[in-house]
Amino acid sequence: MSLTTVDLSLGYDDQNVIEGLNLTFEKGQMVSILGPNGCGKSTLLKAMARLQKPSAGQVVLDSVDINTRDTRALAREMAILPQAPLAPEGISVADLVKRGRTPWRGFLSPWRDEDAKACHDALAAVQMQDLAERPINELSGGQRQRAWIALVLAQNAPLLLLDEPTTFLDLVHQIEVLSLLRKRNKETGLTVISVLHDLNLAARYSDQLVLLGHQRLVAAGTPDQVLTAANLSDAFGLKARVDPDPVTNTPMVIPL
Amino acid sequence: MRGPVFMICLLCGTVVASLIFGQSSLSIATLWEGMTTGTGPGALMINTIRGPRVVTAFGAGAVLGLSGALFQALFRNPLAAPDIMGFTSGAGLAIIIAVAFGINAPMPLVAAIGGLVAAGCVGLITHQKGHVPAPLTLILVGLGVGFFSSALSTFLLTLLAHNEAAEAQRWLTGSLAARDWSHATQVWIIGGVLTAVSLGQMRNLAALELGPDLAAGLGLRVGAARWLLSGTAVLLAATGVAVAGPVPFVALMAGPMGIRMTGAQSLTSKMLSGAGAGALVLMLADLAARAALPGIQLPAGVMTGILGAPYLLWRLSREMKRGEL
Repeated sequence: MSLTTVDLSLGYDDQNVIEGLNLTFEKGQMVSILGPNGCGKSTLLKAMARLQKPSAGQVVLDSVDINTRDTRALAREMAILPQAPLAPEGISVADLVKRGRTPWRGFLSPWRDEDAKACHDALAAVQMQDLAERPINELSGGQRQRAWIALVLAQNAPLLLLDEPTTFLDLVHQIEVLSLLRKRNKETGLTVISVLHDLNLAARYSDQLVLLGHQRLVAAGTPDQVLTAANLSDAFGLKARVDPDPVTNTPMVIPL
Repeated sequence: MRGPVFMICLLCGTVVASLIFGQSSLSIATLWEGMTTGTGPGALMINTIRGPRVVTAFGAGAVLGLSGALFQALFRNPLAAPDIMGFTSGAGLAIIIAVAFGINAPMPLVAAIGGLVAAGCVGLITHQKGHVPAPLTLILVGLGVGFFSSALSTFLLTLLAHNEAAEAQRWLTGSLAARDWSHATQVWIIGGVLTAVSLGQMRNLAALELGPDLAAGLGLRVGAARWLLSGTAVLLAATGVAVAGPVPFVALMAGPMGIRMTGAQSLTSKMLSGAGAGALVLMLADLAARAALPGIQLPAGVMTGILGAPYLLWRLSREMKRGEL
């Protein structure tokens, strides 16, 4: 399985934010999309999840254009967690996670064992079994984000797209979220593609990075290939030194 | 004290009270005698005078309440209700047009067309390519469409003969006077079918509640699902209007009130609680309108207005404090 963008152009109102992008995301990898604000990271992720129609080009999943596919069938193959999902008032974590089973349930079909198992596994993966009956609006920011991740994990799709899953979290919870995604990736082969802001965390937790500049791709490849002083200057206009992280040996960006 | 049983007890109690009290009151014994033997003043009350009226109010209140609960969940806003967004006024206008121009068509159909046209207007005015309009925009535009429909209805009253105009004016306020069993069966049958149709869409609603992007990610065709749900909710409201007139505020109040009374958790039970609360409000409003002032029969809509307008103001101030407005 692979997800590919073919000459992909994206934009709003005749103004393209991305033009002619060709990228390939391989199965089983953890990939982070990086770039300055307004470079079209989220737009790219939305297009890869068929939430935004390309102005030109295609997004291809297993050699089929995703925009020609049945949206429900596609939901069994890819899940997306948008940046600011809405929690219905008073809903419990368990009820929220159940809604992740939507694409697997037929009209009026009852709740099956496999649905219950998927939800149980998802809650276990984010370590929230104990909080399952708690209303989501009583939880901390980190717990809430884990509940949302449990919802998309319960969807049981082999490909997971996340739009800035760590943005409103403190460092401890950012690491918590990225570690649990990494664990799931290693254990089940889940492909994880996320938009991230923190370059050093992205380098630690990703197999591949995609670095976007304004309206174009700056670099794509392993963290070592992508996070170079030249690329950072190109994408962000940032003067930085890149040293190996003393703990993980992944590249670490030190702004100058 | 909360729960579905509490709601059912209240509904039963209200039905009995509505049969007993009015301009002249019956004793429970007389009512019981009428129910068991089918003779006497109790039977007359049940079969002819108050029975059909109470059953109609029950049904009309329930469909309005369900309609409100559906819109509130769909737009994630407690102010989103067919009476606030002008759909009930649209349905009322269509009926006045039919009466004024002597169009001989079934009232539920006429009301449905009116409600759908009003909803279509709100949809068209708020339409922006590629964007889902904000709930508050829909509510405000709907408010405008509602005012326009009401004004046009009042204007059309001038075309009617004097006694007809008085009757129509009363109906436009929302009234259950002179309802017979045909109204009751009509609202229960059409309402029953539409309730089943809306409950069949609960999984879609559950996904839509999470926001359009996540709903689409879960495999929903968001636009189609929203239109289908809105359409069903408009038809439910129109079904109520066809028998009770555009009674204000029942749909607005029913949803939150029902959830409070039953403590409902699942979407389906929240919706049914809204229907129950709607029935309760309309039956009580009609009872109060009949029994409050000796010798005077007020339209039920006056009572729901007296109750509903302060509720709306309270809700507005609460939403403002929460920063939602």
